[in-house]
Amino acid sequence: MNPTTTTNQAIIGSDFSGISYPTREVLWNIDNVWLMYVMFAVSSVIAGYGIYRRVSLWRRGLPENRFDRPRYRLLMLLKHALGQRRTVREKSAAFFHTFIYTGFIILTVATTVVFLHHDFGLPLMEGDFYLYFQSFIVDVFGALVLVGVGIAAVRRLVLRPKKLVYTDESLLILAMIFLIVLTGFLIEGWRIAVTFDPWGRWSPFGYLVASASLSLMGESIKSLEAMATAHRITWWLHAIIVFGFIAWAPYTKMIHVITGPLNIYTARLEPSGAILKKIDFENPEAPLGVKTLTNFTWKDLVDFDACTECGRCTSVCPANAVGKELSPRDIILDLRNLMHAEGLRIADRGQFWLPIADLKRKNSAINPQSASRIGRNPQSVVGAFPSTSPEALWSCTTCGACMEACPVFIEQMPKIIDMRRYLVMEESDFPDTIQEAVTSLESRGHPFRGTQSTRLDWADGLDVKTLAGARDAEVLFWVGCGGALVERNQKVVRATAQLLEKAGVKFAILGREEKCTGDPARRVGNEFLFERLAKENIDKLNGYDVKKIVTLCPHCFNTIRNEYPQFGGHYEVYHHSEFLVMLVNEGKLKLPADKLENSGLNVTYHDPCYLGRHNGVYDAPRQLVQISSRSFVEMKQNRENGFCCGGGGGMSFVDEPKDKRVNQERARQALVTGADVVAVGCPFCLTMMEDGINARKGERDVRVMDVAELLWQSLI
Amino acid sequence: MNIIICLKQILDPEIPVRDFRIGPDKREAVRGNANLVTNIFCENALETALQLRERTGGKITALAFGAESAEDTLRKALAMKADEAVLVLNDGHPHPDPFTVAQVLAAAVRKIGACDLVMTGRESGDWGSGQTGGLIAEELGLPCISFVDHIEARGEGTDASLFVKRQTDNGWELLNAQPPLVVTITNNEFNVPRIPKTRDIMISARQPITKWTLEEIGVNAAEVRAGQSYYEVVDLAIPAKDVACQFVSGDTLEQKVENLAQRVIEVTRSL
Ligand code: SF4
Ligand code: SF4
Repeated sequence: MNPTTTTNQAIIGSDFSGISYPTREVLWNIDNVWLMYVMFAVSSVIAGYGIYRRVSLWRRGLPENRFDRPRYRLLMLLKHALGQRRTVREKSAAFFHTFIYTGFIILTVATTVVFLHHDFGLPLMEGDFYLYFQSFIVDVFGALVLVGVGIAAVRRLVLRPKKLVYTDESLLILAMIFLIVLTGFLIEGWRIAVTFDPWGRWSPFGYLVASASLSLMGESIKSLEAMATAHRITWWLHAIIVFGFIAWAPYTKMIHVITGPLNIYTARLEPSGAILKKIDFENPEAPLGVKTLTNFTWKDLVDFDACTECGRCTSVCPANAVGKELSPRDIILDLRNLMHAEGLRIADRGQFWLPIADLKRKNSAINPQSASRIGRNPQSVVGAFPSTSPEALWSCTTCGACMEACPVFIEQMPKIIDMRRYLVMEESDFPDTIQEAVTSLESRGHPFRGTQSTRLDWADGLDVKTLAGARDAEVLFWVGCGGALVERNQKVVRATAQLLEKAGVKFAILGREEKCTGDPARRVGNEFLFERLAKENIDKLNGYDVKKIVTLCPHCFNTIRNEYPQFGGHYEVYHHSEFLVMLVNEGKLKLPADKLENSGLNVTYHDPCYLGRHNGVYDAPRQLVQISSRSFVEMKQNRENGFCCGGGGGMSFVDEPKDKRVNQERARQALVTGADVVAVGCPFCLTMMEDGINARKGERDVRVMDVAELLWQSLI
Repeated sequence: MNIIICLKQILDPEIPVRDFRIGPDKREAVRGNANLVTNIFCENALETALQLRERTGGKITALAFGAESAEDTLRKALAMKADEAVLVLNDGHPHPDPFTVAQVLAAAVRKIGACDLVMTGRESGDWGSGQTGGLIAEELGLPCISFVDHIEARGEGTDASLFVKRQTDNGWELLNAQPPLVVTITNNEFNVPRIPKTRDIMISARQPITKWTLEEIGVNAAEVRAGQSYYEVVDLAIPAKDVACQFVSGDTLEQKVENLAQRVIEVTRSL
C-alpha cells in the first residue's frame, strides 16, 4: 500500500503497475453497469414528476412580477443561497446545516466528475486534482456530512427544541443521508483494501475503513474476496439509496434545495414596509383579500413549498412568545399541505405551459380570469386550521420578525394581512375594538374614538404655523394621530417642534387638515379605507406641493415613504430621529459641552418595528441617545432582532388577555438591562412600553421617553 | 313587511368639546371641523329593521330629509343592505323644527306608498328633542310606539301582527300591534349597527338614490322655509366644565374615609 512498493497484485482486476500518476479505476468491481443507468433514469423521471407537479401548482397562482432587476437578484442568490447568510445566524443550525449543505455540494461535484470521466472520457480522475480534491477534500466533506447529520439527530431526538416540526419524514431524510455517506465510505474503504490502492491514504476515512477491515479480517485471499463481495453488494445498496433519495426528495421538504434558492431569487427587493399589495377596486370582480388558495399569487404558493420547517419564524414571533395562537410557521405549513391536497383535486395540466410572461404581468394584485380558471370549489383557508383562525390572525402585530428570520425569505406577514383583508372586507368580521377604531377612522380621520384632544392642542403657546398660513415652509412636520391625540405623546411632539424651531428649520404642520395616513386601516386589512385616506392625503400634500416631510411616527414614516408612491405621492421622508441627528451633525443644534442634563442616566433603546426592521433605521435614534445621555445599554434583542412592543398592525387597539401581553414581555426585557430610561422613537411604542413598564417595574424608577424628549432635555 | 326607515345626518357628536362651534347668531351649531355622521339611534333603528327583514323578508326603504350631503348617510344605509333610498332635499333651510321635519317625512312616506312600518331613532344626537317619530305618526294618523328595542313579526297575511318590546322607566312593556304603525327605536345590545362589508360599500356607490324636492312631495315649501314655526331657539351655548382638585387628609385610614365622606356630603348638598 505504498506507492513505491506496489508488490501486492490486485486480485480482482485493478492493476496499478505501470501507472505512475495518482488515479483509480472507475466502477471497479461492478458489472452490469447499465442497471445503474436504468435506475438513474427511473429516479430522474420520478423526481421530475414531483417537481413538475409542484411547478404546475405554483403556476395556478395569480400573476406578480418578481423577475425585475436580475443583477440584484443574482447577488441575493449568491449571498443568501450560496452564502447562507441567514441560515448561519442561528448557531445550532449553522453547524449542522453548513456541514450537510457544503458536504452535499462537494459530493455532488465529485459524482459529476466521475460521471464526466467515465461517460464523456474527460480524464479528470487523475493527477493532483484526483488526489487533492477527488480523494482528500471529498473524503473530509463526506465526514462532515456525517457529523452534521449527527448534530441534527441529537437536536431532533435529544434536545427537541419547540420550534421544530417532528415528522417521520425528517428522520427518514437524516437516516438516508447518513446511509448514503456511510455506504460511500465503506465501498471506498473496501476498494482501497482489495486493490491495495497506493494512493489510498489520500482518502483518510476510506483508508480508515480499509485498514480496519484488513486488520480485522487479515490479508488472505479469502478475506479479500469477502471484502470484494461486500463492496459489490454495498455499492448497489449505495446506488439504491442515492437514487431512491433523488426520486423521493422532491416530494419532501428537501424540495427546499430547489425552492429555497428560487425563493431567494424572487424575494422582494423593497424594504419590508412596502410589501403589501394594492387591490384594484375599479374591478368589481376583484377578490378582496384571500379567501381560498386561488387568491394567492404564484409567489405565495412557491413560499409554501420553500419552507424548510426550521421554525425560526415562530420562535421569533412576539405573539407566539406570549402564548397566543399565532404561529407563522404553522400558517405556511398548513397552507402548503392544503395546497397539495387541493392541488391534486383541481389539477389542471394545461397550466404548466403558461408563458413566463403570464407570471410577470404588471397588475400584480388581481386577475379574475386566472382566478376563475383555477378553482373548482376550493376550500376557504381562513379558519380552516388553528393557525389561520381569526383568533390567530388577529394577534399579528405585523412586526416582520418572521420575515426577517426566515432563511429562505418566505413572506408570512403579508399572507396574514391578505386573510385579514378577506375577513374585514368580505365578511366584515373583526374584533369590536378594532371596529371602533375603524369606524372612527372612517368618520373622523383618526383611530382614537372618544379622544378629547384636537390636532392642535399640543402646540398651545408655541408659534407653530400651518401650511395654509406658511406656504414657504421648507419642511412639513407630519405629526400623526398617535402624536397629536394621545396626551402623553403631545409632549414628544412639542419637544420635536421646539427642537426644529431651535435649529431654525422653516417648518409647518397640516394641523386640522391632517388625517391618518391609513396605516392602521391597511394593517387590519381594510384596504378600501386605507386607499381612501391615502388618496385624500396625497391630494392635499400635492396641492401644497410638499417636497420634504419629517414624521414623528414610524408608521406614518413607513406609509408615506413606502406606500404613498403606489398612489402617486412621492416625497423625501425622514423620521424625526434621522432629521434631528442631521441637525446635530450640521451644528444647528448645539449641546452644552460641560453639563448634560441626562448624563448619569442609563438609557436603553427599543427599536420600533416600522423604523428598524421595516426600514432599516437603527443608528439615528441610537446616536440621539448617545448624544444626549452618554450611557447607553442595548437590550438582548435589538436592531433586526428587536422584539415588538405589541402595538403594530392595529394591535394597540385590541385588548389583549392579561396574561398574554406582548408589551409586558418587552418591558421585562428592557428592565433586565437595568436602564433608568427606555428610549423609543414611536408614539405607539411609547404608550405600549409605558403600560408594560408601569405594570412590571415595581419600586424602581424607570421612565419611557422618546429620543426627541431626551435630546430636548439635554439642550435646555 | 315593507319598512320605511327615517335617517338623520348630524354633526359628529363625539368630537372634542374644544372643536364644537356655534354660529354667530347663537342659534345653530356650525360645522367647523366636525364630520357629518348618521345619528346613532337611526342606525340602531336601521339595524333593527335589517334583522326584522332577515326573519320575515320584505323591503326596506331608507328615507332622509336634508342637504345633498345626506346622500352619504343613505349610501351607508344601502351598504348595510337597505333596498332603496330616497332623499328629500332641504334646499338651504337651516334647522327645521321637529314639526316641520315630521310633516316633510310623512309626505314622503305617503309618496313612497305601501308600507307596514315606519321606523325612526328615538332621538337625534344633535338636538335630542325626540319628537319626530311621534309627530310623523300624528301626521299619518297611525299609532306610535316609542322606545322600542325589539320587534318580531307574528302570524301571516291578514293575521299578521307585530310583537313589540319597549323600554320603560321600570322595565319593559310587551305589546302586540297591528301594522301599519310608527315605532321609534332605542339602543340595546342586540341592535348595534353592523359594519357594512367593503364589497357592499363598493356596490352601494353605484346604486341609484331617488331625490325629491319639497314641491315634488306636495309640501308647501314656503311654509317649511319659514321654519321654526312652533318654537324659537333664542340662545345656544357650549357648557363650560370646571374641574377642581381637592385633597382630603387625615391621620388614619378611618379618619381619611370619614373626612372624604363628609366632603362628599357637603359638595352634593351645595349642588
Ligand atoms: S409579523 Fe410579527 S407578529 Fe406577525 S406573524 Fe410575523 S413575527 Fe408574528
Ligand atoms: S417559514 Fe421560513 S422561518 Fe418559518 S419555518 Fe419555514 S423556512 Fe423556517
